[in-house]
Amino acid sequence: MNTLSRHWRLALAAAAGLSIAAHAADPIKIGISIAQSPPGSVVQGTQVKDGLEIIKDHVNKAGGVLGRTIELVYEDNQGVPEKGRAATEKLITRDKVVAVTGGHQSSVCLAEIEVAKRYNVPYVNTNCWSDDVRKKEYPQVFNPGNYNSRVGLAMAETIAAMGVKRVIAFVENTDYGIGQAKAVAEALKQKAPNVEYKYETLDRAGKDFTPAVLPLRADPPDMILTMLLPPAAYIVMNQLYEQGVAPSAKTWLYDGAGIADYPDFWQNVKEAGKYMLEFGLYHPQMKTPKLGLEVAKTYQQRTKNEPNRLIFQAADSLLLIVDAIKQAKGTDPNALIKALETMKFEGVRGEFRFSKEPGYKFHQWVDIPYVNFQLTEVNQPVSKSLLVQAPGIPLAVGKLQKPVK
Amino acid sequence: MLNVDLFINGLIIGLFYALMAVGLTLVFGILKVVNFAHGEFYMVGAYTYTLAAFKLGFDPWLALPLALAAGAAAGWLTERALMRPLYAGYSSWGLMRDEYAVVVTFALSLLLINLVDKVVGPYPQRGPALLDIPRMALGPIMLSGQKLVATGVSLATIAGLALFLRYSFWGRQIRAVAQNRLGASLAGIDTTRASSLVFALSGALAALSGALLAPIINASPDVGAFPAIKSYVIVVLGGMGSMPGSIAASLALGVLESFGAVYISYDYRDTFGLAILMLVLIFRPQGLFGERGREV
Repeated sequence: MNTLSRHWRLALAAAAGLSIAAHAADPIKIGISIAQSPPGSVVQGTQVKDGLEIIKDHVNKAGGVLGRTIELVYEDNQGVPEKGRAATEKLITRDKVVAVTGGHQSSVCLAEIEVAKRYNVPYVNTNCWSDDVRKKEYPQVFNPGNYNSRVGLAMAETIAAMGVKRVIAFVENTDYGIGQAKAVAEALKQKAPNVEYKYETLDRAGKDFTPAVLPLRADPPDMILTMLLPPAAYIVMNQLYEQGVAPSAKTWLYDGAGIADYPDFWQNVKEAGKYMLEFGLYHPQMKTPKLGLEVAKTYQQRTKNEPNRLIFQAADSLLLIVDAIKQAKGTDPNALIKALETMKFEGVRGEFRFSKEPGYKFHQWVDIPYVNFQLTEVNQPVSKSLLVQAPGIPLAVGKLQKPVK
Repeated sequence: MLNVDLFINGLIIGLFYALMAVGLTLVFGILKVVNFAHGEFYMVGAYTYTLAAFKLGFDPWLALPLALAAGAAAGWLTERALMRPLYAGYSSWGLMRDEYAVVVTFALSLLLINLVDKVVGPYPQRGPALLDIPRMALGPIMLSGQKLVATGVSLATIAGLALFLRYSFWGRQIRAVAQNRLGASLAGIDTTRASSLVFALSGALAALSGALLAPIINASPDVGAFPAIKSYVIVVLGGMGSMPGSIAASLALGVLESFGAVYISYDYRDTFGLAILMLVLIFRPQGLFGERGREV
């Protein structure tokens, strides 16, 4: 009996050991909710995926984290909030992911963070700019990407520096678009209170914006801001150009959505993109950490495209989760959240800590670097564009170019 | 001057709507069902035109008839593969007939959108211009060379279609089938062939529209949704199955949206058509040009 029970004990111990070994070797699953089919921005979703895959391969090649590889579990949210909510629920409950990331459309993020909060799972927001994502102050939500107030302030400073008096913004009818239009309005009150500013919301699924553009022909403003995602952004630009409104000798065109580095930008806008001033979160002339340069190189090798902000934001989103797992020495959600809250992070875009200030700065990389650059030729890659404002440097207004007519 | 701009722009947009809507009208006229994949025929045309020019190196003027042919083929195949059960031995379906048409065309729509998304890719693609002048002044209005050409081709196509339906042998057969399928059949008309022809025509018109607008409204997998929704509104507004009604409703809707966007609010632009549609349905349910049907 004793012998038998010893055998049993040995067998059980061996089985338990094998189970632990198998568990230790299981990949750590991280949930990715992105738009992989219309009506969401599949362009953005694809870039987020590219950035995530580069870092996943990088981490796994280096032995993974805590001896386990990283596995990315994808769900297609189609850019639709209710689908994002369902996708996050599925990732957490069925796939047992330890964290969720990839979000790149504000309306979807706003739906998804409710699920992450309910299940107490860390949610790293890759590219949802709406301040509302931060203002909810959910402990589970972390924001290494850009935010509307930051863009609003940056654009208002640019407007003030350029001395324009009348500004009209075309924004998409989403949480992002309307939020950013309001953020610009708020920032202008501080930075350039004499500027006459108004915004017009356009349907992001719309195809003809000519009626919104035509009234500007007779009375063009000094500057038109665009805060829309493609394809609507491209169509608006083409129709502004077709009607001779902007860019023109009278009217600047200033994009706040960072669309100039999309791979399909020039194919879709051609002449309409020349002279456009662009708010950007990445420019090849920016100071970039070594790992960022590696990510850029790998992306170029894999896709033959120039890297853009989304690649880096996605890379940082995943790196943050990996670093938090390392610091927490496990995947316990509370430990991960604590690690994310307290750690100093060195990513592909620089070093930062998440702010604990309330409001739109909550769990946000507050001083996220940005640039302003101008496209001075058709088909000009971002690397060859005119950098008129590097991070932390005032706008070089004198360098800006305008069409003759 | 603004009003002239708005009026002309509204007419141009209305003409593009018309090119889409007449195809849908023809299908409804002959089969009495709504084709929910009509927008995807538009998308097929936009992509065929763009890819033939960029990937295969076709001159845009050659890519245009190719797009038209692709749309015709898509329409013809849809009729052969999916629509035949509606009138070939499934009469016992009775009330299920409409449901079948809705489900099968809706499924086709989703299939085509997702197929193009996966095979061609999600990125919007702007087609090459038939007349590569980015902008030009034509009297008081500004427009691109492409818009000018697209307007001319649309006008010519709609006029040609009207002549075809009125005077050609096949056109008369189509009208006969639209009036009374059984009666046409008794008169010796091959109603099945007429249905195939109508679907091919409908697909060709939608695809032509997609190709003409690809340089203006960039091709993307879901690009067909916008013109399709407008077409449904127009078809009901003009009177289900009435081609003159569809054309008049298209132009009216284009102008209404153009003025409404400026003088009321751009935000409600897409609701003007729907508001008018509701009024028409309440006070004139047969549509502006439709006739009340009576069956004995």
